[in-house]
Amino acid sequence: MIQVLLRQFKNPIFAILIACAVVAGIFSELKQAIIILLMIALSVILGFYNEYKAEKTVRDLKKNVSIKAVVVRNCKSSQIDSKLLVPGDLVSLYVGDIVPADMRIVKAKDLQTDEATFTGESFPVEKISDRLDLQHPTPQQLTNYLFMGTVVVHGSGQGVVFSTGKNTELGAISKSLARSHPETEFQRGIKKYGTMLLTLTVALAIGIFSLNAVVGHPLVDSLLFSLAVAVGLVPELMPAIVTISLAQGAARLAKVQVVVKRLVSIEDFGNMDVLCTDKTGTLTEGRIILHDCQSLGEVADGRLLTYSLLCNSAVVGETIVGNPMDTAIWEHAIQNNAQETLGSYTKIDEIPFDYQRRIMSTVVKKDDTYILISKGAPESIFAKCEQAEIGGRTEPISAVQKAIDSKFLNLSQLGYRILAVACRRVEARVSYTVEDEKELILLGFLIFTDPPKHDAHQAMIKLKEMGVGVKILTGDNELVARTICEELKVPVKKVVSGSDLMQMSLNEIKAVVEETTIFARITPEQKLDIIKALKANGHVVGFMGDGVNDAPALYEADVGISVDTGVDVAKEAADIVLLKKDLLVLVSGIIEGRKIFGNTIKYILMGTSSNFGNMFSAAAASVFLPFLPMLPMQILFMNLLYDVANMTLPTDNVDEEYIKKPKRWDISFVRKYTLFFGPFSSLYDFLTYGIMLFIFIAPLNLNLADPQQLAIAAGLFQSGWFVESFWTEVLVMFVIRTRRIPFLTSRPGKWLTVLTLSCVAFGTILPFTLLGDYLGFTALPPNYWLLLILMVATYLLLVDAGKVFFYRICKF
Amino acid sequence: MPDIDLFSWWAIIISGGSIFHILVSIYLYANTKTRREKSKQASKSAISLLENFVFVWVLLGLLIFYIVSIQIGSAIIFAAGNIFVEAVLIVYLIKNRKRESE
Repeated sequence: MIQVLLRQFKNPIFAILIACAVVAGIFSELKQAIIILLMIALSVILGFYNEYKAEKTVRDLKKNVSIKAVVVRNCKSSQIDSKLLVPGDLVSLYVGDIVPADMRIVKAKDLQTDEATFTGESFPVEKISDRLDLQHPTPQQLTNYLFMGTVVVHGSGQGVVFSTGKNTELGAISKSLARSHPETEFQRGIKKYGTMLLTLTVALAIGIFSLNAVVGHPLVDSLLFSLAVAVGLVPELMPAIVTISLAQGAARLAKVQVVVKRLVSIEDFGNMDVLCTDKTGTLTEGRIILHDCQSLGEVADGRLLTYSLLCNSAVVGETIVGNPMDTAIWEHAIQNNAQETLGSYTKIDEIPFDYQRRIMSTVVKKDDTYILISKGAPESIFAKCEQAEIGGRTEPISAVQKAIDSKFLNLSQLGYRILAVACRRVEARVSYTVEDEKELILLGFLIFTDPPKHDAHQAMIKLKEMGVGVKILTGDNELVARTICEELKVPVKKVVSGSDLMQMSLNEIKAVVEETTIFARITPEQKLDIIKALKANGHVVGFMGDGVNDAPALYEADVGISVDTGVDVAKEAADIVLLKKDLLVLVSGIIEGRKIFGNTIKYILMGTSSNFGNMFSAAAASVFLPFLPMLPMQILFMNLLYDVANMTLPTDNVDEEYIKKPKRWDISFVRKYTLFFGPFSSLYDFLTYGIMLFIFIAPLNLNLADPQQLAIAAGLFQSGWFVESFWTEVLVMFVIRTRRIPFLTSRPGKWLTVLTLSCVAFGTILPFTLLGDYLGFTALPPNYWLLLILMVATYLLLVDAGKVFFYRICKF
Repeated sequence: MPDIDLFSWWAIIISGGSIFHILVSIYLYANTKTRREKSKQASKSAISLLENFVFVWVLLGLLIFYIVSIQIGSAIIFAAGNIFVEAVLIVYLIKNRKRESE
């Protein structure tokens, strides 16, 4: 909690404010010090509240991660917390278990694990206990290893633990998450802006103090005035306004089922121009479905599905339990009411699947006919076949082998996972053995896929329209990734594999990431390298993933996006979690991010240019006037009032054209904007000086050498300038908040209009109130108001004309 | 400090401010990449330059008008001049926006 609180003070703007409060306090100007401290407190409380709430959510998420393990110690089996495992422990694993440590398999019975969250591979991986002879293997190739965090989906096995906790592959990933989040592009921009402001403020404060001292104003007065001008230049409520913008944006996103865990990432969400995404579970459903049953001929063969239901190890009850492919067959059958055809068959015997044969067989009886059905890996089935059934005719397999191989190869190249189905009539017996799996007739193929999410295609189109390039980073193979891209109509420029990347230097990676659409068979570290390279190339990078292997990339990206179905580690590392499977919420999030960025930039541009203009004119006036153009307290009060008027800026409407493309922080644009629009405000301040001095004060024939009469002149001057300055500073917001015609073609937000006009009204009546009297203001003559209205109208029109000129030459 | 009256000080400062603004505009116009890109296509005639700097001419006109009207000390002249300038600016902005939307 203290860390979160201290983090609020890391902002350079607070450094200026605190310094000002301290100096004001030392010189007994307690009123000023209190006003400054109140501003600081307001910003800190808002920032702290929002950040603390967000971090608490993250902590709650962390609590959910706890894994149990069945361990054999001293020939006794017991269940312990996986944290208590040590290298050398023998661990038993069954279907549904999360692997609690990295281990070498010593016993495997039909063992399959789901490593999708770890490697990105959608299909279960067969695990064996045999020794492998591999040079520099990738985790995907280590089929005799089990990795912590993966899930047993079929069979059972035992493994000897060799790494636990931080020393596991998963631990290495978690270790990289333990460091603090890298700065987002937006944070970097704010920092640059703070530095620019600090330089400008220090230069102006020193300049004003020196000038005032040279012209003979008292030193303490000069110091306090220069400090007040410095504070006036600082948009002190900026941290609060940014936090409010972000919190309101997060609340709006929550309504479309998008949870923002790190508020500051919203702006980068809007500004990202490259979205790197994992494939499995993010672009795809992350589950296997039976895509098609293809016979070898032109005509569909209904027996393929019926036979694969009969030759199936899944247990069907309220839910379907079994290996993913058998489960997918059942789900497909239930969806198509195909299970009704099973009634005429009686199951006689089953020959279970094993990894040597890679075939499962069942013998069924229909009427008086006994049929042996075999289903399994195509290569294994082909070896057992003597014939193939094509269009109702049986042909010797040797005659059609080429065509069958070609079909199988084509389907494999499309990224599908294939099983073959074959059968033959057998004589009636009570039981059957693997020796009966011979002289089979090949019927066709079962084609499995991990389908793309229903709205993924539409989301990809929208992202392209919004100027966001998509890159796919997957642990899966190139063919599968290509197929998904084709289905989603994402044009593939270039494909680079993990082994290609391994050979490349950082500079080569930086070059290759620009033109590559698919990165296949890559490791979590390589995902990280790709994100870093894209960031180094100047992109605002988003990463979307749901697996353990995605966590480091989620952490490193400017904006990490995960989905609710993702693993805890991924959700923990992400900045944003999509609760709905609907990928189109991504688009809503981007629009929201762009709106928030747009409104934050509006505040920065308006605040800096108006404050710069006002404080520049204050500095110029202090040199030639016999009194201070505005009292330090009045400057601070105006600044506070201006910020109150801006409080509803986060709710302002943003023009459509602004949110079409991602925007970047451009500090040189802020500088140009300040240089161009700031002097407009100064000119009208100077004009007000003229009006106050020569139209309203001169006719009074006051003797400015007399302190009492000087005070009357000063009060009138300060009141006149305060009102004009406040009107121009606040009302210009309606002109420069849009590039269009204010009010006519671009309407400001309702609350912004109401609050701004209320503040203008308050600033107008202030000189006539007790508070105004306390602050040193006096009532203004009626003619002043007429001139003020005309002058401000000219000013606003002139700024609008200047806007046309400025945007013609400066793009943002 | 030079011994000059308050009005002269004021006139110097407002003129200085206006000149500073005009110099900033010229600097931005001359150094902006976008302008350079556009200038390849756009004609470089004096008319287009005059058109691009409309607001600068208005600003200069206003400066002279403001200094004169305040020296006279007449609120009526000041008000009338403002109304005239506002009318000019409204016509310019409508014309300009129409051209942009075309």
